[in-house]
Amino acid sequence: MEFDKDSLLKLGKLSKIKIDDDKLSSLSADLGSILKFIDRLQSIETDNVDPTSNSLDQSLVMRDDIALDENSATEILENAPDKELDFFSVPKVIE
Amino acid sequence: MINGWELVIGIEIHAQVKSNSKLFSSSSTDFGSGPNSQVSLVDAAMPGMLPVINKFCVEQAVRSGIGLNAKINNKSIFDRKNYFYQDLPQGYQISQFKDPIVGNGFIDIVLDDQTKRIGIERLHLEQDAGKSLHDQDPNLTFVDLNRSGIALMEIVSKPDMSSADEAVEYVKKVRSILRYLDTCDGNMEQGSLRADVNVSVNKPGNELGTRCEIKNLNSFKYIHSAIIYEAKRQIKLIESGESINQETRLYNIDTGETHSMRSKEDAHDYRYFPDPDLLPLEIENKWIEEIKSTIPELPDQKKNRFIKDYNLNEYDAGVIVSDKATSDYYEKVVKNRSPKLVTTWVTSELFSVLNKKNLSIDESPVAYDKLGELIDNIESGKVSNRLAKDIFEEMCEMGKSPGEIIAEKGLSQISDEGELEKLVNDVLIANPKNVEKYKNGKDKLFGFFVGEAMKLSKGKANPKLLNELLKSKLNT
Repeated sequence: MEFDKDSLLKLGKLSKIKIDDDKLSSLSADLGSILKFIDRLQSIETDNVDPTSNSLDQSLVMRDDIALDENSATEILENAPDKELDFFSVPKVIE
Repeated sequence: MINGWELVIGIEIHAQVKSNSKLFSSSSTDFGSGPNSQVSLVDAAMPGMLPVINKFCVEQAVRSGIGLNAKINNKSIFDRKNYFYQDLPQGYQISQFKDPIVGNGFIDIVLDDQTKRIGIERLHLEQDAGKSLHDQDPNLTFVDLNRSGIALMEIVSKPDMSSADEAVEYVKKVRSILRYLDTCDGNMEQGSLRADVNVSVNKPGNELGTRCEIKNLNSFKYIHSAIIYEAKRQIKLIESGESINQETRLYNIDTGETHSMRSKEDAHDYRYFPDPDLLPLEIENKWIEEIKSTIPELPDQKKNRFIKDYNLNEYDAGVIVSDKATSDYYEKVVKNRSPKLVTTWVTSELFSVLNKKNLSIDESPVAYDKLGELIDNIESGKVSNRLAKDIFEEMCEMGKSPGEIIAEKGLSQISDEGELEKLVNDVLIANPKNVEKYKNGKDKLFGFFVGEAMKLSKGKANPKLLNELLKSKLNT
């Protein structure tokens, strides 16, 4: 089973990942086999099971509304490939 | 209706939750701090970081839901909304898709004395994105993540509005309710409350037209003019035989036009799925009831009470209660005073000064007790309404109390009969011809005498006594 190439290109576009032409077939095959595996789950009878968003039967733990001064801009920007002043800087984005 | 076309409008409001820290991290939410100074490792999406939800934000969403007469869901789920953008370090926004925290509700709006019910589809919690600055460098975009991860409530209306005026009233009402509840500060200039507006047009009786969404409107004025522009644009297209593309548009505040941001073919495919980092959010009825018991009097209830207790008309009551601080001010002034007088002074004199100086009522140059003192002076007949206006002007400029100004300027009203009689005599002696005309039947001249006497008294004569005296003198 192959993941169809148009869907693959669309997925690449949405994720801003460039997919080279020579990688298309092998990627399609890889993703296809993942989907094939997941397809097996479709055969399980789930008519009497509530939709599940998480496999743990627990609910969310909450924290109190306390603001902490944890990081400085310098620390946060330490791993940024490019920065200007105290901003992350990226190639111009025009919508 | 515009030229025989009906408008159908639905609105999504993004309201920033008034909290100290962010929705899933402990970073501060303060506005205006240095760039990237309020960013935790969670907000910056460093590998291995896990979100922990802020209980207060959940409570604020529940409070808001109750204020919008909506159903609070005992169980809701957080989903990942996936898209790639430079101000979204996670690569997805944590939002709620299928199971929001708040379900169906409604609010009532009043326009031209008509009440209309607008349905609320849902309210859900989500993260705000960071901020991109495009105008700092010709080749670069700068990103500040301080806003990244701040809690937003997205409030989605049903497509129940059919004019730009209704749309503005709706947003005003939601904002007012959130401010009463203190769940959002409603500051539109700072972006704490912004609206996405969906507009379509159709001929009466026909099926709905294709809609366009105008993003990120942050003032009532922009909401109004963007809707009018967009509706006219759609009508023009359809009437010239073209069809409407379903698309997202931006409103240009300089030109007053909307332009395409992205069309549907190019639309994002968000690939929502439940966030595996977050368990379902469960809210017990007991907690909902506890929150319910702390809900303050809301604008509609307060308005009805004001109409009943202070005999206000619908319009004045609506204006006064729309802002909580204004209604608090009003109630302090009106205590033991004539509501009619207080209403006039608050809604015309005070409001006009505040508007002129672009101040909120909290910044009013005249404190409530000073305005009360001035109104006491009017009620007791010590100063006339006209004089009171001069005194009020001085109070606004100099910040003095009415008592001080009256004493300083000798503005106290002349109610002494002897003094008034002298005034009246002076006027009559100075105008023998008009006295004669009056006595020969020219009644209209009465106003002239009043005016002259007032002028002579520098506006201080007690009008009622002056009238009586003049009448008795002229008619003998």
